[in-house]
Amino acid sequence: MHESAAVSPQNKPAMSKTIVNSICPFCGVGCGIGLVTEKGQVTEVQALRNHPISQGQLCSKGWNTAFGINPRDRITHPLIKQEGQFVKVGWPQALAHIADKLTGYIRGYGADSVGVISSARATNEDNYAAQKFARAVLKTNNIDHCARICHSPSVAGLKQTLGSGAMTNSIDDVDKAEVILVIGADPTENHAIIGGRIMGAKLRGSKLIVIDPRVTRLAQVADLHLQLKLGSNIALLNGLVNIILQQGWQNTEFLSKRCEGLVELQAQVANYPLDEVAKVCGVKGEDLVAAAKLYSQANTAFLAYGMGITQFVSGTNNVIAVSNLALVCGQIGRQGTGINPLRGQNNVQGACDMGCLPNVYPDYQSAADERVRAKFAKAWHTLVAIEPGLTSLGMSNQARKGKFRSQIIFGEDPVVTDPDQNKVAQGIKALDMLVVVELSMTETAKMADVVLPAACFAEKEGTFTNCERRVQLVRQAIAPPFEAKVDWKILAELADFMGMGALMPWQNSEQIFVEMANLSPSFSGMSYALLEQQQGVQWPCNEAQPMGSPCLHGHTFPIGKARLIPVEQTPTAESPDRQYPFWLTTNRLHYHYGCGSMTRQSPLLERETPDGLLFIHPQDARDLGLVDHQAVGVRSRRGYLETRIIYSEQLAPGLLSMPYHFKEAPSNQLTNDAMDLLTEMPELKACAVNLQALDANRQPRSIGEIIEANQQILPLVAGTRTAL
Amino acid sequence: MSNQLFVLNELALLQKHLAKHYELYQIVRDPQGEEAWQENVPVDTLPLYGEAHLPLASAKGFFFAQNEGLYKFDGETFTTIKPKLSPRALFGVQACDLTAIFYQDQFFKDDPYYQARREQSLLVGIDCSGPCEKGFCPIVNAGPQVATDHADLILSNFNQEQQDGLETTWLLIAASNKGVDSLQGLKLEKAPDNWRHLRSEFKEQVLAKFADFTYINTSIEYINDGLVPPELWEELSVRCLACSGCTNLCPTCSCYATSDQTDSESNSQTTVRFWDSCQFDGFQREASGHNPSHLAAQRTERFWFHKFSDDYLPEFGRYGCVGCGRCEQTCPGSIGVHTVMRKIEQQCCN
Amino acid sequence: MLQLTPQPMCIVDSYDDGQDAKHFTFEPLGFVHETPIQTGQFFMLSVPGAGQAPFTYTSLPNTNSKGRFVALIRNVGKLTNALFKLKSGAVLGYNGPFGRGWPVAKLQEKEVLIVAGGCGLAPLAATIDYLIDAGQAQTTTVIYGAGEARSQVLKDERAYWKSKLLMHEVMLVGNQIKNLGTPSEHIAQVLADHDRQPQIVLTCGPQAMMKSVADTCVNLVIGSEEIWLSLEKRMSCGVGLCGHCYLADQLLCTQGPTYRYDELLELENKTSQFRPHTGLFSYC
Repeated sequence: MHESAAVSPQNKPAMSKTIVNSICPFCGVGCGIGLVTEKGQVTEVQALRNHPISQGQLCSKGWNTAFGINPRDRITHPLIKQEGQFVKVGWPQALAHIADKLTGYIRGYGADSVGVISSARATNEDNYAAQKFARAVLKTNNIDHCARICHSPSVAGLKQTLGSGAMTNSIDDVDKAEVILVIGADPTENHAIIGGRIMGAKLRGSKLIVIDPRVTRLAQVADLHLQLKLGSNIALLNGLVNIILQQGWQNTEFLSKRCEGLVELQAQVANYPLDEVAKVCGVKGEDLVAAAKLYSQANTAFLAYGMGITQFVSGTNNVIAVSNLALVCGQIGRQGTGINPLRGQNNVQGACDMGCLPNVYPDYQSAADERVRAKFAKAWHTLVAIEPGLTSLGMSNQARKGKFRSQIIFGEDPVVTDPDQNKVAQGIKALDMLVVVELSMTETAKMADVVLPAACFAEKEGTFTNCERRVQLVRQAIAPPFEAKVDWKILAELADFMGMGALMPWQNSEQIFVEMANLSPSFSGMSYALLEQQQGVQWPCNEAQPMGSPCLHGHTFPIGKARLIPVEQTPTAESPDRQYPFWLTTNRLHYHYGCGSMTRQSPLLERETPDGLLFIHPQDARDLGLVDHQAVGVRSRRGYLETRIIYSEQLAPGLLSMPYHFKEAPSNQLTNDAMDLLTEMPELKACAVNLQALDANRQPRSIGEIIEANQQILPLVAGTRTAL
Repeated sequence: MSNQLFVLNELALLQKHLAKHYELYQIVRDPQGEEAWQENVPVDTLPLYGEAHLPLASAKGFFFAQNEGLYKFDGETFTTIKPKLSPRALFGVQACDLTAIFYQDQFFKDDPYYQARREQSLLVGIDCSGPCEKGFCPIVNAGPQVATDHADLILSNFNQEQQDGLETTWLLIAASNKGVDSLQGLKLEKAPDNWRHLRSEFKEQVLAKFADFTYINTSIEYINDGLVPPELWEELSVRCLACSGCTNLCPTCSCYATSDQTDSESNSQTTVRFWDSCQFDGFQREASGHNPSHLAAQRTERFWFHKFSDDYLPEFGRYGCVGCGRCEQTCPGSIGVHTVMRKIEQQCCN
Repeated sequence: MLQLTPQPMCIVDSYDDGQDAKHFTFEPLGFVHETPIQTGQFFMLSVPGAGQAPFTYTSLPNTNSKGRFVALIRNVGKLTNALFKLKSGAVLGYNGPFGRGWPVAKLQEKEVLIVAGGCGLAPLAATIDYLIDAGQAQTTTVIYGAGEARSQVLKDERAYWKSKLLMHEVMLVGNQIKNLGTPSEHIAQVLADHDRQPQIVLTCGPQAMMKSVADTCVNLVIGSEEIWLSLEKRMSCGVGLCGHCYLADQLLCTQGPTYRYDELLELENKTSQFRPHTGLFSYC
């Protein structure tokens, strides 16, 4: 808060406007955002020139934040469902009700019959409280959140090769790189401020290579664009490694000192000769060689990737192939280099860091390790859960088997966003008690037995951790409206009603942070004061790295030597055929975030993309006799929807692309459920579809209208997966 | 009117005097180092002013609000929502931003919401004594010194040579009737006649500190002669993310959109207006889908045409750009004024 | 000072009049127009909850009937969608009149050619009525183009006009061979058949059609300064503030929406480097 904000001059009314510097609630870049408040509402937004990441910039989502914080649609009071209707109750009544029930289930069916789903949108403090509530109060490791459909393959893959799944370097490193390689990511749309930094670096002379099936904005300004065929990532990456090893462009010193597995990798990538790779990927051989040379020979090469790598059945192997390339060239462990997965949600990094995963405590301390459990039990002065915990999918499965009684869900809408909507809904119906803590009445909240009003980011203190591991202070701008409360307070009060209030005695979010930092080696050097002074600090921050760590793996990897792991090109689960002749991929638009629940409240952003849309190459459209903006029906083996086409030269002929922000025309109605076995990541980036023109005068129908009109014919799962 | 010149020995004297009659607004630095206009600043807060403290957000929002209700509909009648404010003084506005207010005063001369706020406001300008980081105000005749018809009171530091920060001698110009009235009750010594001339001399010294911005002048000419090839606009526009940062921060940008917001409790509708941006694809798109400016390149060209076209000179007497350089700071795509003007100059010279 | 707050008016009645189009009669509630309205001017319609948009007067407010006036409105977007769902008696917001209308004073004792396409007939309707009332029916020619029969608007008005003056209707699709095509393709023939030599041309319709009409008329040796077009653009205010309706250095709402062809050609020159692709008169 501005210093003057707390001071009112004599004989003057209290300030009508104040500015509070906080962190943008949208993507994982973590830009600074000034919230201007008036009469208890956020009315305006300002860019912050001194913020280390955004430096006076914001994307259109950030500039429109005020519209997303809309008190009109908020849940106002705790609600308990009685005979199918929600009834407003006071907090004590709601919490006593939940406490009684939970206690009963735990006594009757054991602690593993209950669980908590935390939120990647909430603060680190909320997430820490959620996992502590599960492990110390409920005595279960049944705690999870939604990271599964964005970067679970990154965590799984990089954990194997490096020992840590986060971005190895910093956003600042973009400016320090001679070469920037972007694979399967569209940062100017999805991580706009990072995308802008990349364009800026390119203007100042860095070389930019883009590997993407679409001609993204970065591809348009790039020195080299490898427009590979959808799903041929591993072939291309193995091909690059093969070229590098054949030409002797590898970093021999780095390989011998820091890596293991080169012999096996070399033998395997030899099966990816240039000509064949060029053919499989649909890319010119000379471009492959040029890319291999640029990337390997640069003093510093920054590699970033996104869901064009992770959202495939081969997601984890794709990540490993990326890692192999960077390791072979030694482009890691120094400024301006690194393997950098661009994460989606504002605090998905933090929710993972805080241990909102069934298998790890905060700071990735293994829940299976008895010493870790003992450490937390001692610190918390209580017994903690011993049995392995369930993932969200696991909880849902157990519920359908009648073995799971109750779930508390914070700020997530699995009924809409989870891959298999029917199964999730069945799981929820099988629960004896569903508690949903939410801002507004989502589809999941409607199914709940108890709904509790939550506070949004502008209404709380705490921290978010952005994609470069920077923990930043979120500052409260306005009071929570009506009866809304911050997640951690709700949990602390609930613990009290369960007779364990002493376990969560916090008066403010800072006390939670202190407790967390004391128990987490990577955070041990952090305090609110340091975060304030440094405008955020990157973990690990400890005695060895008192000011944090902009760059990881400088001398060693968490697993000692990095591992090179041979991986084979795997075809996508589905390819175009006569019946479904087009490839369909998904993309995001700069204007929208996730399922659009916040960004679509902005009249400006909503105007930008009034209907759902499908991008198509003009040649394909002309071949089908489709004019720009014409309504079309799109069908895959799994579903059907209607939307409008937009001519786009960004796509290769034969490839269609669809943003997933629009609930009226959810791309995930069409996308494939086939999964990466290791991580349960569905193949959202590739499937086969066909197109039919609709009558020139007809408006596309929303998915709701289609389902209503056509109950008997269509598969009815309108699964709008939010992939982040 | 002829300007009255006074000697002011301490800024705080004027601050305290004005605070008796006005809510005082000043540029304030917060703990994160952000500098922004703040309301009701305690009178003992030293003002930040001049080239080192140009806030990223100009004073535009005080008159043309980022988001404001226009009127309310209760099912039968429409009721105007009048801005409610008391007299206020903006203390320490830089010359570029005052030029922008002067520009918007003309554009919004018949806008009741803008004018209601404007009439309540006293503008206290302070001369800049050097170039700011991205500024080029002299090129577009918007600074570094405050024009006498752009502010009610103008302050000029008259002992800039002192390095110890003890700036105790100021020239205070009462530049408007409002300015003269605001000084009533404050005992001030008249300034010597030659101070007017001294101020001009200072100006020359300050101008000499500015870098060479000839490329901006040259590019303005290219734009007006229609010599910027479409390919160049296309090349630049690829980098436009349509974030709206340039138009939000540009102190003369004035486009807005409206929207009706329903209040279900009172069953009423409030029509609000909020800053819009010509850089959005949907800015001119019609309900039919037809869009006269559907190319990003057209929209990029539009922005610079609006800032630098001679066609606007008859109406406004000046360009729409006041040389503050904020677009350069806020543009994620590096197509702010310096990059664009330099690019045009390079390309068109060949 | 401008008044941005609308005044209330209600829907008196409405009926379907052409494909996706309705013929609305509005009545001011508790206010009268103090200045006369020119044909070709427009008003801002507020549909509470849906927003504001400009529409033209199909008939001018009638002093004999509580200031009622007509607007022909096509359902193309969210606002019109909401409007079409309203029933008689519904209260709406009104602001106007705005903009520069048709050059009615210049029409006196002139031979006038009016060429309209689709809903572009709406802003010309009151002018046609005016010319009939002024006794100029015999020197007025109207050519009206539409895609097909069902997309023709203002059925009742057209029936009346046909009884009073020379009105030629053409279509892109239909069964009468002699009437097929665009309006500009028929101009020369219609004028020759009836020995008309227009001195002034008013046209409104899709921009490509207007461009084609204007060029055709120039070829028939009508000066571009005697050819008037009415343009359409998105607007949020109607009074020169919101900025959406820019055209080079002009704002259509205050300096238009009617322009002389020579003015437009000049504006087009300074508008944009993108004339070949997407300038004023092209479609995207």
